[in-house]
This record gives sequence, C-alpha cells and structure tokens, in this order.
Amino acid sequence: MEVVDHKTHNLENGQAAEEEEEVDENANVLQFMDSMDAYLTLIHSLSSNLRQGWLELASARHSMGAYRVNTVLLDHTSHPAATSLLVDEGKEPHFTLCKWGSSGNEKLFLGEEQSSRDKSHPEIRRRGATQLSEEKTTSENKASCEIDDPVQKERSKSLSVFGTLVSPKLRDAQLSFETALETLVEIANRRSEMLCAFDKVNKKSGGSKD
Amino acid sequence: MANRVHIPTNNSALIAMIADEDTVVGFLLAGVGNVDLRRKTNYLIVDSKTTVKQIEEAFKEFTTRSDIAVVLISQYVANMVRFVVDSYNKPIPAILEIPSKNHPYDPAHDSILSRVKHLFSAESVASRH
Repeated sequence: MEVVDHKTHNLENGQAAEEEEEVDENANVLQFMDSMDAYLTLIHSLSSNLRQGWLELASARHSMGAYRVNTVLLDHTSHPAATSLLVDEGKEPHFTLCKWGSSGNEKLFLGEEQSSRDKSHPEIRRRGATQLSEEKTTSENKASCEIDDPVQKERSKSLSVFGTLVSPKLRDAQLSFETALETLVEIANRRSEMLCAFDKVNKKSGGSKD
Repeated sequence: MANRVHIPTNNSALIAMIADEDTVVGFLLAGVGNVDLRRKTNYLIVDSKTTVKQIEEAFKEFTTRSDIAVVLISQYVANMVRFVVDSYNKPIPAILEIPSKNHPYDPAHDSILSRVKHLFSAESVASRH
C-alpha cells in the first residue's frame, strides 16, 4: 500500500511539474508575441515620424536653398554627441535616451518634453482668468524656462551648422527627428525583450524535441 | 576576431548611422553626431557613389566599437550587405533597420524578424506537438 501511495504521489508531482512547465512556456510565448506586436507597431510609428521629418527637411531646403542644407556644411571638428544612450547591460539590455546633455539630466529630458508638448499645444489665454491661476502659470513657465535654456542652447547649436537664421521648418524637422529617436530607443528595448523571450521559447522547444 | 570590450553598465554610448543623406542630417539635427579626436564619425552617408565594401567596413567598424550601443541602418542599405547583417547576433550594439525616403520598411527583410519567424513555420509547430 505504501509503495502504491508513493507511486501515486510521484505521478501527481510529475503532473504538477509538467503543468507548471506548460504555464511557463505559454507565458514565454505570450511575452514573445507581445514584444513582437509592440516592435511592429513602433516601426509603423517610426515610419510616420521619419516621413514627417523628411517632409519638413525638404521644406527647409526649399526655403533656405539646397546649398544651405546639405552635408558639406557638417561640422567635422572634434565634438561629442549631445544626445546619447545609457545602456544597462544585463540579461536583457535596456537603453535610455539622454537628449541634449550628459547623464543626470533626466530632469532636463522630462522637463523639456513637457515644455515641447506645451509649445505644440499652446493654450488660449482666457479673459477674466483668476490672478491665482495666472501666478501659478507664471511660476510653472519660469521653472520650465530654466530647464529649457540648456536644452534650447544645445538645439540652437545643432541648428547653427546650417547658419544663424534658419527656416522654422528646419526647427520642426529637428523636433520630428527627436521624436523618431525616442521611438527608436523604444524599438531597441522591444527588440531586446523579443530576443530574450525568443531564446526562452527556443530553449523549451529544443528541450522538448530531445 | 579580438574580444569586444563590453560597454560598462550605465555609461553613455553613441548611436551610429548608416543611411541616406536626409536621414543622417535629420538625426544629426537631433544631436546624435559625434566626431572624435581622430576625426572619426559615428555615421556613414550612403549615396550613389558609396560602394558595398565601404558599407561593409562601416558596419563592421560600428559593431566592434565599444562606445556604440545602437546602429541605425536604412533597410535598403542593409539589403546590400544582408549576409553581414544577418550573421550579426550580438545584443549590443543593437542593429535597427529603418525605412528610408524611397524605400519603405519591409518586415520580410528585417533580420530580427527573419530570425524569429521560424517559430511560426509548420515544421516547428509540428515538432512541438
């Protein structure tokens, strides 16, 4: 009787382990599918951002002249990149974009994102707004301006390669390509997730073949 | 091949580009451009005069540099050196194939999607059941 009980117990343990393995495998497959879906969606979004940027660049070239917006003017003297990446190497590498400054300027990154959103959607000033709300807006603007200045300086420096006075379309193109960069970093992270999930699924299916 | 030095955790790294003029100019406007003391850049502008060998050399250079974390390559350029791109399988730098003005993105040619698509092939599904 004890032997039969022991065998039954072993069978149940084996079944539980198999079920757990199946649940893990399903979770890995789901993660892989989700990452791939996100990857493809982001690629679509990137295409849209790039198209916008190319169009704005073409408009800038049209208004400024082709001789003023071309690669001959690029700065070939030694200079570091203003926009870089922070890489967290691990099982799954993770990339963080650092725009217009070195690491530790995440506040700048977040702050200027807010201010650029504000600039793209300016609010209409309503007559009869209360003094309190106006003061609050003024102080918020001051804070965002303080954060904006170094970022705007870096942006202007980047634009100055093409001259002191540049077309507004060139500035728009700059913003579009910045957005494209953010999308690209997201794509890089989804790629890492996808490859990690793919390796896990592959390992399981390789094990089951044996 | 010499062992590649890994990028230390949480250090800043560059984005390299192998693309057409407009794409490179656009990303340079976004502040990605870097020129080191030896006047080496982190980008290659591909035009009608650029040879396959130059593209291949740039790809190999960017994927072996320790200060580059992501390489952006226009998909139509990647198609010219497909054998080199597809044989690359390290996690860093990440190779991202991007569309260009005259060549929209085609998922069928993406090296990452090609690598994982066999998961959905009839053979692999049958072998799991």
